[in-house]
Amino acid sequence: MLANSGLVRVPAVETHLMLELESVRKTYGACLAVDALNLQIRQGEIFGLLGPNGAGKTTTIHLIAGLLQPDGGAIRIGGSGSPSDPAIRLRLGIAPQMLSHYEFLSARENLGFFGRLYGLRGRRLSERVFDALAFVGLENQKGQAVRTFSGGMKRRLNLAIAIVHDPEIILLDEPTAGVDPQSRNAIYENILALKRQGRTLIYTTHYMEEAQRLCDRVGILDHGRLLALDTVAGLIQTHAGAATLIVSRGDQEIRMCTPEPLAVLNELAREAPVDRFRLEQATLEQVFLQLTGRTLRD
Amino acid sequence: MRYIWTLAQKDLRLLFRNKAALFFTFGWPLVIAVLFGAIFSSPDEHSPRIAIAVVDEDQTSGSREFTAQLGEGKDFNVLAAGRDAAITLVRQGERAAALILKKGFGEAGQRLFYGDPPKVELWSDPTRAAEAGMIQGLVFKMAAERFNRVFSDPGAMRGQVRQGLESLKSAPDVQDANRVPLTRFLNELDAFLAVPQPGQGGGGGRPQWQPIEIEEHAVARPPYAGPRNGYQVTFPQGILWGIISCVMTFSISFVTERTHGTLMRLQASPITRFQLLAGKSLACVLAILIVVTCLIVLARLGFRVTPQSFPLFLLAVFSTMIAFVGMMMLLASLGKTEAAAAGTGWAIMLPLSMLGGGMVPLFIMPGWLAKVGYLSPVRWGILALEGSIWRRFSLSEMAVPCGILVAVGVACFIAGVRWIRLDK
Repeated sequence: MLANSGLVRVPAVETHLMLELESVRKTYGACLAVDALNLQIRQGEIFGLLGPNGAGKTTTIHLIAGLLQPDGGAIRIGGSGSPSDPAIRLRLGIAPQMLSHYEFLSARENLGFFGRLYGLRGRRLSERVFDALAFVGLENQKGQAVRTFSGGMKRRLNLAIAIVHDPEIILLDEPTAGVDPQSRNAIYENILALKRQGRTLIYTTHYMEEAQRLCDRVGILDHGRLLALDTVAGLIQTHAGAATLIVSRGDQEIRMCTPEPLAVLNELAREAPVDRFRLEQATLEQVFLQLTGRTLRD
Repeated sequence: MRYIWTLAQKDLRLLFRNKAALFFTFGWPLVIAVLFGAIFSSPDEHSPRIAIAVVDEDQTSGSREFTAQLGEGKDFNVLAAGRDAAITLVRQGERAAALILKKGFGEAGQRLFYGDPPKVELWSDPTRAAEAGMIQGLVFKMAAERFNRVFSDPGAMRGQVRQGLESLKSAPDVQDANRVPLTRFLNELDAFLAVPQPGQGGGGGRPQWQPIEIEEHAVARPPYAGPRNGYQVTFPQGILWGIISCVMTFSISFVTERTHGTLMRLQASPITRFQLLAGKSLACVLAILIVVTCLIVLARLGFRVTPQSFPLFLLAVFSTMIAFVGMMMLLASLGKTEAAAAGTGWAIMLPLSMLGGGMVPLFIMPGWLAKVGYLSPVRWGILALEGSIWRRFSLSEMAVPCGILVAVGVACFIAGVRWIRLDK
C-alpha cells in the first residue's frame, strides 16, 4: 500500500471490525502528533504499529485507550462505542510502555486492585487474578512486593494487569522493552496465546523481528502519518522488491532479483550446471528504513 | 462509591507499606508533641517559686526589709505593685496571690510582746486554695524566722536582759519617766524567757503570741483559661504536623502516580475523574483521622490532655481536615515531578507552619509576627484545636477559626481540581 498525504488505501476488511479510526488527528501545541489516521482492525488479529521515535505510536495507543481526546476524526470500538465511554473501557486493556504498577504492593494486590476498578468482585476477581498470574508465570511470586521483581517479571506483571479483567482489545505499547531474551520469548508466547483466545491485539514495537514474527498486519507510521499498511509479506513485496537469487558456477556468481526464483533457477540449470545457489529474502527492517529513511530521530 | 473506597484502600495500604512516609505521618507528630511538651512543661509545672505581687503600703525600713526577704528566698517570685494592679494581676491569673503590707507593718514588727502584730492582707483566687495556703505558711514562716533569730538562745537573752536591768538601776542620768517603762519591759521580757518552751516540761509554755497576722481576701476571677500543662500546647501542634505530613504524603503520591504511569492506568479504567480525585481525597481524610485518633488517645492516656468538649474537638478536626485536604489537592497540582512537588510543598508548608505556631507557640512570638500568623491555616487549625482542648471556646468562638478553615479548604480544593493535570 502506498502512502499519499497521510491517507492510505486500507485493504478490504472482510471479518468483524473491532476497532476503527477515521481521519483521527491529534496535536500537542504546534506539534502534529497524529495526522488523518485511518485504521480498521479486525477481531482476533495482531496489528503492529511500527515507527521511529516520535512517530505517533504511543499517542495513537493513548487515543484508542481514551487517555487522549482526538482533535479531529472519530474512534469507534465494536462498531460504534467511543473509548471515553466507561462501558467501552471495560472492553479495553492496556500495557503501557512505562511499567505501571505499585511497587509497594504485591503482584496479587496490584491485580486485585486493578481488577476491582474494572468491576470484578469476590470469586470472579480471585479467579481472574489467579488466571492472569498463571498466564504470565508469576503465580509463585504472587505475594512478593513488586519492588523485589526483576525487569522481566515487572514486564510480565504489566501484561497481567492489562488482561486481568478479560478485555476484548489489548493495547501493548512496546511490551518487550528492556527485557532479557527468556522473558521476551515468554511474552511472545503470551501474545500468541491471547490471539488464539480470540483477543484483538494492537502492538507497538521497535523490534522488526517481533513484528515479523507476531503481527498479522503492520502499519508503519512516521511524523503522525500512516506510510504503509499491509501484511508483512505484502509490505516486503511492495516496498523491498523481489527476493534475490544468488547462483554460483565455478568462480562466477550471478545475482538476480525475481518474484519467481524457482522458475529462474530451473531456467539457469537448463543452460549450464549450477554449483550452489541461495535465496536472499528482504526483511521488514529494510522496508522500514526505506519508508522512514536513515536519518537519526531524537 | 465502591470505586472511591477501592482507590482509598490502595492509598492507605501504600502509606502503611512505606516506612519513611509512615514515620513522618505518625512518628514525627508524636516527637513534636511529646518532646516539645516535655520541654514546655518543665518550667511551668515544676517551678520552685510561687509568683506573687507584693504591695508595700507601709513604706518603712521594716516593710522594705520584709519585702526584700521575700524576694531573696527560694519560695517566691516577687513583683512589687500597687494595690489595684496587684489584685488585677491575681484576677487575670498572672500571679497566684497579692500580699499587701498594711500601714504600721514596720512599727508592729519592732514590738515584741505587746500590741498588735504586723498585719498583711492576702488576696488570692479561691480556686487556688492550695497555693494560698502554701503562701500563708511561707509568709508566716518568714515572719517567725525573724523572731527566731532573736530568740534562738533564750538563756543568753535572759542574761542580757538582766544585765540591762542592772545597768538601768545603776544609771544616774535616766529619768524616772523612762526608767519605769523600761524596767517594766525588761522584767516582762525576763519573765517571758523564764517560761520553759513546749517540750521542755513545766506546764503550758509561753503565752499565745503570733509574729504576723494575715488577713485573707478572696479575689473573684473568671475560670482559668490557660493550658494546664505543656502537652496541651504541643499536642495540637503535633496533630497539625500529622495532618501536614498526610497532606505532603498524598500530594506527592499523586505526582508519583503521574510520573510512574499508574495514573494513566487509572484513567484508562472505567472510573471517572471525580471518582479518582475523590478516592485520593478520601485516603487523605482517613489517614488524617487515624493520625488524629492515635495522637488524641495517646495524649489522653499518657499526658492527661483531654478535650474539654469532644463535639467541639470533632468540629475542629473536621474543619482542619477540610482545609488541609483542599491544600493537598492544590499542592498536587503544583509539581510535575516528585522532587518538585516535595520541594514546593515543603516550601509552602514550613513557613505556614512556622508562622501559624506549628513549631513555636504563638504566645512566645513577638506581637507583629503572631499577627502575620493570621495568614496561615496552621494557626487557625491550632486555635480551633486549642479552643476545644483548653481555651474553653464556645460554639460561636469556634465559628471563626472553623469557618476560615472550611473556606480555605474549599477554595484550595476547587483550584487544585481545576489545575491538576492527570496526564504525564
